[in-house]
Amino acid sequence: MNLNTLASRWLITTMLLLLAGASMAADTPAATAPAGTSDTPSTTAVPADANAAASANSAAPAQSEGTRSLDEDLQGLKKDVVDLNRDLFVLEEELLYPANTQVAVFVSMDVGDFFALDSLTLKIDNKEVQNYLYTPRETAALIKGGVQRLFVGNLKSGQHELVAFFSGKGPNDRDYKRGATIKFEKGVGAKYLELKITDRARRQQPEFEIRDWE
Amino acid sequence: MRRLRALALGLLAGTCVLSVAHAAKPPSDRLAPIHVQDLYYGDVLWRLFAGKPDIETLTALEAYQYWHLMPHHADDAALLAGSLYLSLGMHNEAGRRFEALLTDKVPAGVRNRAWFYLAKVWYARGYYDRSLDALHRITGKLLGELESERQNLTVNVLMRQGRFDEAVAQLASWHGTPDWMAYAQLNLGVALIRQNRMADADKVLSAVGTLDVAGTEMLALRDKANLALGYAWLQAKNPQAALVALNRVRLSGPYAARALLGAGWANAGLKDYQQALVPWLELHDRNLLDAAVQESYLAVPWAYGQLGAGAQAAQYYESAIQSFEEEAGRLDTAIDQIGSGHLLDQLLSADTHGQQGWFWQLIKLPDAPQSRYLYALLADNDFQEGLKNYRDLTYLRSLLENKQEDMDTFDAMIETRQKAYDQELPKTDALLATDAPAHLRAARGSIDSELNAIETGSDVAALGTSEERGQWERVRRLEEALLNAGSGEDLDEARAKLKLIKGVLYWRLDAAFKARVYAKRRELRALDASLNEAQNRWVRVQSARESVPTNTGEFAARIAALAQRISALKVALARAGDRQNGYLVELAQDELGAQKGRLAAYEVEARFALADIYDRASAPKAPPAAPPAADEEATPESPGAEPPTDQGAMPAPAPPPPSATP
Repeated sequence: MNLNTLASRWLITTMLLLLAGASMAADTPAATAPAGTSDTPSTTAVPADANAAASANSAAPAQSEGTRSLDEDLQGLKKDVVDLNRDLFVLEEELLYPANTQVAVFVSMDVGDFFALDSLTLKIDNKEVQNYLYTPRETAALIKGGVQRLFVGNLKSGQHELVAFFSGKGPNDRDYKRGATIKFEKGVGAKYLELKITDRARRQQPEFEIRDWE
Repeated sequence: MRRLRALALGLLAGTCVLSVAHAAKPPSDRLAPIHVQDLYYGDVLWRLFAGKPDIETLTALEAYQYWHLMPHHADDAALLAGSLYLSLGMHNEAGRRFEALLTDKVPAGVRNRAWFYLAKVWYARGYYDRSLDALHRITGKLLGELESERQNLTVNVLMRQGRFDEAVAQLASWHGTPDWMAYAQLNLGVALIRQNRMADADKVLSAVGTLDVAGTEMLALRDKANLALGYAWLQAKNPQAALVALNRVRLSGPYAARALLGAGWANAGLKDYQQALVPWLELHDRNLLDAAVQESYLAVPWAYGQLGAGAQAAQYYESAIQSFEEEAGRLDTAIDQIGSGHLLDQLLSADTHGQQGWFWQLIKLPDAPQSRYLYALLADNDFQEGLKNYRDLTYLRSLLENKQEDMDTFDAMIETRQKAYDQELPKTDALLATDAPAHLRAARGSIDSELNAIETGSDVAALGTSEERGQWERVRRLEEALLNAGSGEDLDEARAKLKLIKGVLYWRLDAAFKARVYAKRRELRALDASLNEAQNRWVRVQSARESVPTNTGEFAARIAALAQRISALKVALARAGDRQNGYLVELAQDELGAQKGRLAAYEVEARFALADIYDRASAPKAPPAAPPAADEEATPESPGAEPPTDQGAMPAPAPPPPSATP
């Protein structure tokens, strides 16, 4: 084999690879298809920074036929696990928190201009049942409209008292701590309480209230 | 990818909540503003926005659906479940759900975006027909860049299916945002090259290759267009045109090595070996891991050979052989290490992101000897997809491990509960047998009747104090005694006194009567409240008693069934994990094997060339050989390292470009 031939074959192989890569330009993070063989010198490796140059808009290129059936099997398996997980969740909740004794406390936040929540402490019948420290992302999730189920537990029927202490930063970035309390009647069914943090624009202050969901 | 995930999920969820505060008419591409009316739907959204693992969010969502805790958001929750399945890479399930849910009731914009993301996932997984079908379900235009991306995806799917004419037609009639336009033009250019329409391809690729752009991504795209065009011209035996395109590739970009190599060949094609050495020598000092650099180890001495510098050529060949041998040794070690079976665990332990599912990608490789050879693998979609699946499998297995421990706990809990029931049930049954509330209600009824009789008969003495009742009784007895006592002054006086006393006593009793009736009625009402409370408790006890055998038994049965499912799934996951592991190790070993094979081939070429140089150097001077044909069959005996007369002839025409489909 002379180098002319070597160059020729190299060029052909490189061309094929390049075209395969170029065709994926818009949809692959790293355009290459390693296909060098023992007698076809070829340009195959994509420098590491090719990945960095990859499009954020890119999707990965397609999967080969050989792995398709494995993918199908895995999807079926994953679905089985999701179903199982759901059944376990249902069992756990029904076992640990039967509906006739269940009490769930939720937290919601509207706007959040006057208060940045750092932590929340819950007391039921003067006993601390929850103390939760929020990450910025969790607080942001509340501001976006999420409603966190902060506490779930069991209470016997009758009169109870819930006290919530909210800590965080208030207006002018000052440390701010407030409490809210509610007396509620626990009946036969599950009881839901919502701790609501809202902005009182007129007073430029946050407002904390507890709603009893009948 | 994170952006894509956020879009995919925000597609359905974000619009529901963010727009709560805005009462304006919703845009047609969003779901109508929804005030969260079900606390549990809010909880699902919170988990989603707070970045909790998608599988946990999906589990909670499905459980809440099972309990019907989100009656006001049934449709939203179902759409959200679909997008979570999509996010977890379960595109089949997501597709099934979307097909059922994305009806005309869902705003067209939301529907279109859902189909778009589904098409994208199916494309990535190689389901081109499904991908195209999903794209066809999009009606009208998507908003912003998504429309450009959609068209680009359509073109890519068509190209993957080998439908180049349709792809060209699609691209030719398309105009979009500049970035996506550049991508589309690049694809169009490649499609044109495949159809041997070089003039058209040059026009399109040059347009991309001369774009005035900034940013890593677009600069790389520009380089790629120039590289593609340069090599296409090399293939078309037009080194001059190739050089123009290749010279536009940046020296610091990701395609610099291949561009330098190509520029060298273009110069060699122009028989300017001196100029060819410039880029090749630049390459020679770069990382040998790069295939283009490896090529340059052969190209440099070859060029020296063409220039008649045999000594330098020999020196470079010797150096190349030594480098190839060393690198091959390192590759052997790496292949052995991969074969030991710990590759995937090492790869995954290097990743610190907690994300699962389709949007995850491995970016960082572990600090291990074999890592330097695996970067090409990272760029390989099969490997990345396989790795995602392996990672998901590992995560799911650990999840099930924890759940199995929970099952043991629940089992113990049920057992304890059963023991407690066994102790308490006899007492409970004895209590329930007394039917105490019925007796209490009967007693309360008789008290009420008595009070009614007292009130109706104005029996004022009946509600007096015990002293008053005693006094009243004594007055009554004295009255009876005096009635039959005869007559006499003393008796008449006594009767008068008794009458007076009775009158005073009656007056007192009568004055307090109404208040006392009221007080009794109030006591009865308090009694009623207590009786009701007792009755409620009694009912609850009765209900609990009735449910005891089935309740604990049912839980025990459910736990047993779930434990069985966990065990079975763990086995299936382990098996799938092994399969996946084997497949990925095979891919990695194939990749490294290919690298090693390439090096071995280069080494052979270098040895032949070197031997030829030595042979020529030791052989007596012969008349100059006739120039070989450019594309003569190669023979080991004539490696051609030593330049005959026109050794730099351009290589033979390359075969038509391959299809883009793998």
